[in-house]
Amino acid sequence: MGCSSSVPARSTGGLNTINSDASSATDSKELRAKLVLLGDSGVGKSCIVLRFVRGQFDPTSKVTVGASFLSQTLALEDSTIVKFEIWDTAGQERYAALAPLYYRGAAAAIVVYDITSPESFSKAQYWVKELQKHGSPGIVMVLVGNKADLHENRSVSLQDAKEYAEKNNMFFIETSAKTADNINQLFEEIAKRLPRPTES
Amino acid sequence: MEGGGDSFGSSTAPLAWHDFLERMRQPSAAEFVKSIKSFIVTFSNRAPDPEKDSAAVQEFLENMEGAFRAHTPWAGSSEEELESAGEGLEKYVMTKLFNRVFASVPEDVKSDEELFEKMSLLQQFIRPENLDIKPEYQNETSWLLAQKELQKINMYKAPRDKLACVLNCCKVINNLLLNASVVSNENPPGADEFLPVLIYVTIKANPPQLHSNLLYIQRYRRQTRLVSEAQYFFTNILSAESFIWNIDGESLSMNELDFQRKMDSARERLLGLSADSENQDNQANLDAQDRKSENLKANRNSDARLSMKDHVQGSGQDMRRDSDVTVDGKPVERVQSISDIEKKGAAELLNDDELNKKFQEYPFLFARAGDLTIADVESLLNSYKQLVLRYVALAQGMGVSPETTLAQSSQPPSDLVGSEEPENVNDNEKSEGISKTSDDVISENDRPEALDIKTSEKMTQKTAVDPNDDLEALKDEAPCQPENA
Ligand SMILES: Nc1nc2c(ncn2[C@@H]2O[C@H](COP(=O)(O)OP(=O)(O)OP(=O)(O)O)[C@@H](O)[C@H]2O)c(=O)[nH]1
Ligand SMILES: [Mg+2]
Repeated sequence: MGCSSSVPARSTGGLNTINSDASSATDSKELRAKLVLLGDSGVGKSCIVLRFVRGQFDPTSKVTVGASFLSQTLALEDSTIVKFEIWDTAGQERYAALAPLYYRGAAAAIVVYDITSPESFSKAQYWVKELQKHGSPGIVMVLVGNKADLHENRSVSLQDAKEYAEKNNMFFIETSAKTADNINQLFEEIAKRLPRPTES
Repeated sequence: MEGGGDSFGSSTAPLAWHDFLERMRQPSAAEFVKSIKSFIVTFSNRAPDPEKDSAAVQEFLENMEGAFRAHTPWAGSSEEELESAGEGLEKYVMTKLFNRVFASVPEDVKSDEELFEKMSLLQQFIRPENLDIKPEYQNETSWLLAQKELQKINMYKAPRDKLACVLNCCKVINNLLLNASVVSNENPPGADEFLPVLIYVTIKANPPQLHSNLLYIQRYRRQTRLVSEAQYFFTNILSAESFIWNIDGESLSMNELDFQRKMDSARERLLGLSADSENQDNQANLDAQDRKSENLKANRNSDARLSMKDHVQGSGQDMRRDSDVTVDGKPVERVQSISDIEKKGAAELLNDDELNKKFQEYPFLFARAGDLTIADVESLLNSYKQLVLRYVALAQGMGVSPETTLAQSSQPPSDLVGSEEPENVNDNEKSEGISKTSDDVISENDRPEALDIKTSEKMTQKTAVDPNDDLEALKDEAPCQPENA
């Protein structure tokens, strides 16, 4: 296993990523956002996060850290700085019941399925319902069809997923953690959708 | 990128405790001292109500922090100093209120006992496989380091210090997983790897009153400081607790009947071991800890009597993965000497086609001094420590004193029965290892932290500061002195 290491896509659309530790915590425009990933085991949650976080870094950097909690900062065009704090959750079935502890208080949730697996799409719908029932009100929910590079084996149609997302008021995007396609776009979209703190 | 050593924020940063007390003694702080004392008196006179108590403390801390910002002796201080003052305040207030709020309602006491019992049963038969811990990440001997961190949780009263025990435990696990992932060329370990190990370590560590400790942190750690990575790892231990409460056959991939049978025989064994120890009625307040350690001391005679049996079984499970020691309390065959085992192992190794694989874990084995760089020191030291730990644990498991194994390697294990080393016996196998007297605390702390120099420094600083001494200063008018009770 292992996430592929092809060259990461750089961010687009005038958005820049900056080193997370360099930003000042006292900057009033810094937004801290807790983000959780949910989805069937093996759909690529960990790979998506690693791709997002690692892609921003100097590939020659030897620093490796655990991947259960990662943070990454994004600077938006409106000079808002969003610091994502990404909470990984254990994907094994026996730990599924613990998920509410993790998504409680999350600002955003990425629900991931694998476009080659209809079961994972059903599981994604289960998570969406869970979040609607128990997530924080106003949580930004995103539906992600991952492994888009395997489109030859696609078994969840783009149309079905799109419709489902629209019905549930979610942003939808297909990604590939392998080729890095749409990974940064995914996080940028979330950043844009986060509620801004009221100016004081 | 975060995830490394210093990202737990002020939860593990050195605390300027002396500075806080120093400033509190200044005349200009008189108003603050008065408010704090008045809060503590009022609070202490009310009947326990966890929800209200927590809200009251959180609100008080928040207000005081606001006041610090605006008045001498803190006005004009940097954010860092203010943060540190807030930490000092939290520690001061909570040390005073500890006996009043810790495990202060019967439900919590009951939960503590139930959870403790469940873990004492589970720890006798649970295997890493039951939790989906992959073989390449299994490392029970090194997990002892993480267990020790967690077991320190009852040595402290301040929420921050208790939280630090949890975070240090998580940090040890993360480091071990990371090393293992490098060795086996895996992706950096994620929650799939981390959570199961934390659950396993928690069950094996089984610190008394874990439930109350976690609730206490949740309620009284200032909410603005229980965020980010600290919050993530704290959530993980809450989730470990929740998982443990609900463990049944299915959640361990076991047949339900099989699971019940294992629980029953574990219970029988436990009852046999503690036949003459009356179960302490854990009433919450005051010296629950002290009483516990007294009870345990009293029990040591009976423990010692049984220590041989327990010893072989307990540590056999922990240290000798492929041994045929049964979990059902059947007699275990006589333990071989270490040198016998070593000879046998060496002979087998020589015939092993996978010899190289076995030594992969020890990258320095074939290195020459000239090959090493300064950068290797840390990992070399880590490897060395793991090796020593394994060796000592193995020796302990064999019932042989490590110091003497080289000289006289076939010391009969029966010598241990009479030996006066209950602490060591406990260390390796039983959660009761927590019941250190305060004299042991310092030396106790010297070992595990050595794994991570930074942590070591912090913890030394933390333990070097004895709240009792410092609180003396303000004691005269202090309305409650749990320390003296
Ligand atoms: N082809 C392809 N493979 C992928 C992609 N993303 C992940 N994978 C592979 O899918 C497998 C599972 O990926 P993970 O990231 O571990 O999946 P997960 O969702 O974190 O799984 P759990 O942690 O078990 O819940 C790995 O073998 C990855 O290499 C992708 O975009 N394309
Ligand atoms: Mg994963």
